[in-house]
Amino acid sequence: MNRRPIWLITVLAAAATLAAACGSSGGGSASKGTITIGGFDFAESSVLSQLYGQALARDGYTVNYKLRLGNREVVAPALKAGQIDMYAGYSATELEYYNGKLGEASSDVTATTAKLNLRLQPLQLEALTPSAAVDQNAFAVPKAIAQKYNLTKLSDLAAVGSQLVLGGPAECPTRPFCQPGLEKTYGIHFKSFKALDADGPLTRAAFANGSIQVGLVFTTDSDLGKLGLVVLQDDKHLENADNVVPIIRTKVATDEVKTVLNRISANLTTEELITMNGQVELLHQDPDAVARAFLQQHKYFGG
Amino acid sequence: MSVLASVWQWFADPSHWQGENGVPTRIVEHVQLSAESVLIGAVIALPLGIALGHYGRFGNLAINISNVGRSVPSFAILVVAFQIFGLGDLPVILALTALAIPPMVTNSYVALREVDPDVRDAARGMGYRELAQLFRVELPLAVPLLMAGIRTSAVQVVATATLAALIAGGGLGRYIIDGFGQQNYPMMISGAILVALLALATEVSLSAVERLLVPRGIRLLMAPKMRRATSFKVA
Amino acid sequence: MTGGLFLDVVDPWINWDWLGAHISYVLGAFGQHLELTLIAVTLGLLIALPLGIAAQRTRWLRVTALGVFGTFYTIPSLALFALLVPYTGIDTVQTAEIPLVGYNVLILLRNVVVGLDAVPRDVLDAADGMGYRPFARTLRVELPLALPAIFAGLRVATVSTIGIITITAVIGLGGFGQLINQGLQESFHSPLVVATILSITFALVADLLLFAGQRLALPWARQA
Repeated sequence: MNRRPIWLITVLAAAATLAAACGSSGGGSASKGTITIGGFDFAESSVLSQLYGQALARDGYTVNYKLRLGNREVVAPALKAGQIDMYAGYSATELEYYNGKLGEASSDVTATTAKLNLRLQPLQLEALTPSAAVDQNAFAVPKAIAQKYNLTKLSDLAAVGSQLVLGGPAECPTRPFCQPGLEKTYGIHFKSFKALDADGPLTRAAFANGSIQVGLVFTTDSDLGKLGLVVLQDDKHLENADNVVPIIRTKVATDEVKTVLNRISANLTTEELITMNGQVELLHQDPDAVARAFLQQHKYFGG
Repeated sequence: MSVLASVWQWFADPSHWQGENGVPTRIVEHVQLSAESVLIGAVIALPLGIALGHYGRFGNLAINISNVGRSVPSFAILVVAFQIFGLGDLPVILALTALAIPPMVTNSYVALREVDPDVRDAARGMGYRELAQLFRVELPLAVPLLMAGIRTSAVQVVATATLAALIAGGGLGRYIIDGFGQQNYPMMISGAILVALLALATEVSLSAVERLLVPRGIRLLMAPKMRRATSFKVA
Repeated sequence: MTGGLFLDVVDPWINWDWLGAHISYVLGAFGQHLELTLIAVTLGLLIALPLGIAAQRTRWLRVTALGVFGTFYTIPSLALFALLVPYTGIDTVQTAEIPLVGYNVLILLRNVVVGLDAVPRDVLDAADGMGYRPFARTLRVELPLALPAIFAGLRVATVSTIGIITITAVIGLGGFGQLINQGLQESFHSPLVVATILSITFALVADLLLFAGQRLALPWARQA
């Protein structure tokens, strides 16, 4: 009975498992510490995470990335539990998430961020200085629909909403800046809601085949015009100051870390964000390459 | 509130049983997607497998095709289908059909091969011509394994159809994906329970169909071979 | 860039330049996929083997174990991964492995039991007659004879696991599923196609290796 090969195979398999498991734990040389950055599941979040991460890495920190984790409902608990150390958030939406949808956010970014920090403090979290770059929710319709129903602003939807289908990410029916906000602020009641993605290929495909007429998009999209979509004006200011702002665990937010991150935020504009999104989404460039180019352009490396 | 209580409450809520996102609608969507895929798959796979098994040709291909079929990640196939065909039922059914075909080809090939050669000879000796032999002698004997293949395929398809929600498809997977996105755990758990129950119901009902189709004597005869049909999880 | 029936000039199905520039990314995904597979199959076997041996002899244990793991098996993997996140974390090996190991235990348990069942009664009697004590009899007589069934189970479990791991992309892992997810979210063909082909290849190679392993381990047994 030839049992040797069985034992050999078992030992090899066990060894391979151990090797694989051990290989994944990285070793750090003299670094200032490890920071884990989490990202949402859309391209812009990967770009922002890389921007902040590469700046920190350049400054001597070991940076781990956990990108494309999901939406805020998934990422925020990970931050609270300490599985990630920071993520790039959007001021007003963060406030409404952490205050339990109280409706405190406004278009004043400083006030909004201050209220956000009040909410974050008991959780040992902190919002840093918000950037000038803004990415808000917006709602778009195809040109044909806009012409058919004479739509230029969101309040125009109140009359015809019941004939239209709204498309957005799965959490839209529960997010204050999404479906509930449209109902409360504008009195729009849609015929139905179709769960797709956060302004991704599923949403665009749904626009294209007519299964939705109104869809959630982001104001930093680079290709809405090309897709024949018209953004409806937010005349009653449902959307608020969604400036990019790092949400970080206080323990990790040393003065040095804060300086590095705030410098990035200060140099980031909405136009540049739109450009970088376009490079990733349309030209299929890597978020880390796009971020590196931005940092080089702003002379972060050797500048 | 305990997890069980919140799930119970989710099921007890009448609004969850009405409308586009209601349980009946989602179950019907799920069953429709699965049934259509298995049917179309069967129409393609069964004649192919039966023919190959009857003539004894390309055995290696027939047996290994289910190996290759199992190696295809269902998530990937659904996304590829979406990128080619866009949204709707078509990409989902195409992807599920592609996944349903291999096990049915293999099982129907094996089913025909397992027919006792003595029985074949006896049939030929009695004067049965080719097609009559196939339909009146071989197929009835092959039904148990054939049904096992269809059953395996069907249960697999029902489980994989939950992934359709990842490309904005309907069905019970919506409760899982939307529940995850909204962090609505009662919805997610209820969806999981419903899929599990549907998979069980599929297994049970197809077993019942098999019982109806197969005479008791043959079923007892085939019992040892039936245990070979191992079910396989792809989603 | 919507999914549609048009020639995608900017985005071929495989962009070889992209692949060339992303070899380490793809290899990293493979490493993660390999790691998750090895852990799932090894742990599954480590649990299923002793459990199966015990369950094969004890009627109530057989029914209970197969019942519990069988029920677990019917739960869709997507749901299990999502449900575990608040308990075992997002993007963690535990969240991925608990369902994977659970599924593998069922497959392997069934095959261990069936394999042991198939050992002919006279062989067992002969072994007893030759003086084998129960534990030795199990290890040296029954298990080797059950190996063909166990290997069959290993092959099914491995190929199945490799496919399901792609779904863990939803909780931040994924192995090759990371590329599939990227392909989906960025309307990008290359990572999707590369990941699909590599995932299929990995599964087929693993299956082949196990088949070869079976031949090595059981030179006397004809492949069923």
